[in-house]
Amino acid sequence: MQVLLLLFYIVILFTVVMLHVAYATYFERKIIGHMQVRMGPMEVGWHGLLQPIADGIKSFFKEDIIPENADALGFRLAPVVSLTAMVGALAVLPFAPGWVLADIDIGLLFIFAMSGLASYGVILAGWASNSKYSFLGGLRSMAQVISYEIAMGLSLVGVMLLSGSLNLSTIVEAQGGSFGGMYIFPQIIAFGVFFVAMLAETNRVPFDLPEAETELVSGYSTEYSGMRYAIFFMAEYVGMMVMSALGAICFFGGWSGPFAVPLFPALWLVLKIYAFMFVFIWIRATMPRYRYDQLMELGWKWLIPLALANIVITAVCKALF
Amino acid sequence: MNEPIRQTMEVPVATGDEERYRLRMGPQHPATHGVLRVELELDGETIVVCDPQVGYLHRGIEKLAENRTYAQTLVLTDRLDYIAAMANNCGFCVAVEKLLAINPPLRARYIRTIVSEMSRLSSHLLWLATHALDIGAMTVFLYCFREREILLELFEELCGARLTFSYTRIGGVRQDVTASFIDGLQRFVDIFPDKILEYETLIDTNRIWLKRTVGVGVVSREQALSLGLSGACLRASGVDYDIRKHQPYDAYGLVDFEVPIAQEGDSYARYRCRMEEMRQSVRILQQCIDQLPPGPIVSDDAPDLHMSQRIIPFREARVSGFGTALIALSHKTKPTYPAGDIYVATEVPKGELGFYIISDGSPRAYRMHIRSPSFIHISALKALSEGALVADLITNIGSVDVVLGESDR
Amino acid sequence: MQIQYKKKRNLLQNLLLIEMAQGMWLTLRRLFTKPITLQYPHEMPKVQRGFRGQHALVRDPETSTTKCIGCMKCAMVCPSRCIRIRIHKEPGHGNRRFIDEYHIDALRCVYCGYCAEVCPVNAIILTEVFAYSAKTRQELNFDMPQLLGNWDSYLAGQGELLKEYANPTWRPRGLPEGPMPVGKRLPVSDEWKGKDQVVGRLWRQSVQEQNR
Repeated sequence: MQVLLLLFYIVILFTVVMLHVAYATYFERKIIGHMQVRMGPMEVGWHGLLQPIADGIKSFFKEDIIPENADALGFRLAPVVSLTAMVGALAVLPFAPGWVLADIDIGLLFIFAMSGLASYGVILAGWASNSKYSFLGGLRSMAQVISYEIAMGLSLVGVMLLSGSLNLSTIVEAQGGSFGGMYIFPQIIAFGVFFVAMLAETNRVPFDLPEAETELVSGYSTEYSGMRYAIFFMAEYVGMMVMSALGAICFFGGWSGPFAVPLFPALWLVLKIYAFMFVFIWIRATMPRYRYDQLMELGWKWLIPLALANIVITAVCKALF
Repeated sequence: MNEPIRQTMEVPVATGDEERYRLRMGPQHPATHGVLRVELELDGETIVVCDPQVGYLHRGIEKLAENRTYAQTLVLTDRLDYIAAMANNCGFCVAVEKLLAINPPLRARYIRTIVSEMSRLSSHLLWLATHALDIGAMTVFLYCFREREILLELFEELCGARLTFSYTRIGGVRQDVTASFIDGLQRFVDIFPDKILEYETLIDTNRIWLKRTVGVGVVSREQALSLGLSGACLRASGVDYDIRKHQPYDAYGLVDFEVPIAQEGDSYARYRCRMEEMRQSVRILQQCIDQLPPGPIVSDDAPDLHMSQRIIPFREARVSGFGTALIALSHKTKPTYPAGDIYVATEVPKGELGFYIISDGSPRAYRMHIRSPSFIHISALKALSEGALVADLITNIGSVDVVLGESDR
Repeated sequence: MQIQYKKKRNLLQNLLLIEMAQGMWLTLRRLFTKPITLQYPHEMPKVQRGFRGQHALVRDPETSTTKCIGCMKCAMVCPSRCIRIRIHKEPGHGNRRFIDEYHIDALRCVYCGYCAEVCPVNAIILTEVFAYSAKTRQELNFDMPQLLGNWDSYLAGQGELLKEYANPTWRPRGLPEGPMPVGKRLPVSDEWKGKDQVVGRLWRQSVQEQNR
C-alpha cells in the first residue's frame, strides 16, 4: 500500500512537472518575444496556448534519426541519462511541510549528484554523435560542469553551516529564525555565487556554451532530432526548475511566505520558482554569451575564491555569535 | 547485405607535440553569414590554421556584365551586396557616368546621397543585428530589425522594391522623391538617435560584450593597409580614409560630416566606428533633407534604357510615329560611347566598392571588374583569427562585416 | 574624428553591475510595450502603389485584349531576358503587328520594372501582387491569357480602380512630360509630373533671401 501511494505521488509529481516544462517553453517564448517587441507563438490556440502541446506531438511523431556513424547505444542512452538524472533530483525537493517524496538527510548532496550525472548525458551525446560540433559541445559542457559544480557546492556550504543540515526540509525550517525568514540576507555573497553557478549549471545564457548556436551550430544536440531532442529539452527545463527550487529553498525560505495558504501550502515555493524562471528568461533576453576561456576564468578566479571567503566569514560569524 | 562502412570521427593526428584536427565550418553554419566556408585546423579550441573559402554564391556577375548594357548591368549590381543595394546602384552609376562624361543634376545627386546613406544605415543595422546575435545578444537583433523595417518601407515607397531596388539610372535617378517619403524620412531621422542609444544600452558597456570584443581580432595600422582593408575596418585601425570625404562624389562634398576613427583596431573599435558612422549618416540625411534643391532628376545627356548602339535623336523619333517611342531621356545625339577604361570607387557600407570598366565604344562593358570590400575582408580573416579561439572567429566574421553575394559575385 | 573607445567605469558601477542592470531594465520595459509584429497571413501589409510584383498585361477595355503593339522594346530591354514575343503581319493591315504569343518567365524575372517603363502604350505592368506561387514551373511561365487574367484579378482586387490608372513604373515620378510618347502622358498629380517638387527647408530659405 505504501509503495502504491508513493507511485501515485511520483506519477502526479512527474505529470505536474512535465506540464510545467511544456508551459515553461511557452512562457519563455512569449516573454522573450515581448521583450523583443514581437509576439511569440500566436497560431495554435488562443495566443498560441496550445503550442507546447503541438510541439510535443510533433516531436513525438517525427522520424527517429540516428546518424549512420554514430554510436547507436550511447546516442540512444544520452537523452535518457540526462532526463532521468534531472527528474530524480525532484524526489528530494520539499514543496511544503511533508510534501516530499524522499525526505533524505543528504538532500542537497543528492541534488548535486544528480545534476552532475545529468551532464554525463550531455558528454555522452557529444561523444556518441560522432560529430565535431557535438564533440566540442560535450567537451565544453564537461569543463563547465566541473568548474561550476565546485563553486555551487561551496556557495551552499554557508547555508549548510547556518542551518546545520543537508536535509532540505530542515534547511527551510531553519530559515524561519533568521532575518526576514530567508538566508539571502546573511548569505548575499553566497547567493550571488550560487546564482551565477546556477546559470552555468543549467547551460543558460550567458553560459550556454555547450549549445552555443552561433558557434557550435547546436552543440551536443546538433545530431539529435525528434523525440530524443525533446527529451534533452525537457531535461534542460527540469534542470532549470530543480535549480530554481534549490535556490528558493536554500536562500528564499522555501515554502514559507507572508501567510499560510490553506489547501495548497506549496504556493509560495511555486511562486518563487516562477520568479527564478522569469529571471532566467529575462537574462537570456538581455545578455551576450561568454567565451569558453572567460567562463573558466570567471568560475575559477572569481566564484570559487568568493565562495571560499563566504564560508570563512560565515563560519567565523557562527562561531562568534 | 552489405554492412555500411563505419567511419569514425577523424582521429586527432599528433603532429609534433600537439594534437590537431580539422573542422570545416560552413557553408551551412548559422554564423557564417550566408555561404562562407572556413576550414579550420584546431588544437583544442585554438585555431592553428584558418582557411576561408569563397565561391559558393558565384553567379558570374562580372561576366554577365560583358553582354549586358550598362543599364541592364545596373540591375545586377543590386545582387552584389544585397543588404545595401542602393549604395551599389549609386556606385555603379557614378562609375558609368564618369565613363560617359555625364553630369547628373544636383537634385539627383542629393537624392542619391539620401538613398546611399539610408542603405548605409540599413546595412549597419543588419551588421549590428547579426554581430550581436553571433555573440549571443539576441534582443539587439530584433531591435535593429525594427528600425530597418522603417527604412525598407521608405525604400518601397520610393522605388517599389524592398531589396533589389535598381533605383538609380545612368545620369540621375529613376523616380523623384515624394513629400510623404521625405516626411517619413524626417520622422525616422528624428527617432533614430534614440534607438542607437537603445542598442548601446544593451551592449555598449556590457562587460560580457567588452570581454568578447576588446582585444579580439586586432589589426595594426600597417597590417590593415597591407591587407587592403577599407571602410570601418580600416578606420578602426587608425587610418583616416573615407572616399566620401577624400574624393567626394554625389552630394557628399556639399554636406558636413565627420569620419570616425579609432586606434585600437580590434572588434570593439570596429563596432564603435560603425555605431558612430550611423550617427554621422543621420546627420547627412538631415542635411540632405534640409538642402534638397529643386530641378530635374535626370541629366539631359543621359542615355535611355535601351542604350542602343546608335541613339536615335528624340526629334526624329517623334516624326516617325512610334519608332523609338520610349521615355526618351536623351535630347542629344551621341553616336557612340567613349572607349577607354576607368576605375571609380565609392564608399559603400562595407568599405571601398570599386568598378573597373573597360569600354570599347559599345554600350556594353568590354570587361568589368568589381573590387568588392567583402572579398578582401574575408581574406583578412586568416590574419585576424589564427591563434584565437573558435568563438573569436565568429566575432571576427561578424565584425569585419562580410556579405557573400558581394564577395563571390 | 577620434571616437570614444571605451567608457570608464568606476568601482561602484563595477561591483553593482550597473550596465547590466540598465540593459535588464530596458528589456523589462520593452516587455510592456506593444509588439510591432504584423500577423502576416491574417493582416496584410500595406503595399505601396508602384510596388514591383506580379506581371500583368493590361486589358484594353475597348478591344478586350492586350494593348501590346509588338514593338519588342520590353523584350530587348529586359536584363534577364525573360520576355518572349512572337508576332506576325497580315496583308491588308499595313505594318500592324499581331501578337501570337507573349511569354513572361516569372522565375527568371528580376522585377526591375524596365519593361513597364519602356512600353510606349502602357501595355505591361508590374502589379502590387507580391504573394503568388504555383506547383509547376510551367504555371509561372506566364502566357498571354494568364497575363491578361492577372490584370483582371488585380483589377478586381482593387475594387473601384480609377479609370486613369497610373503606375509609377509606367511614368516615373518627376520626369517631364515633354519628351514622352502620347501613351505615357497619363493624368497624374502635379507632384508626380515634377512640377511641384518637394524642396528642402534650407534651400527655400536661401531662395527667399536671394529674392529679397
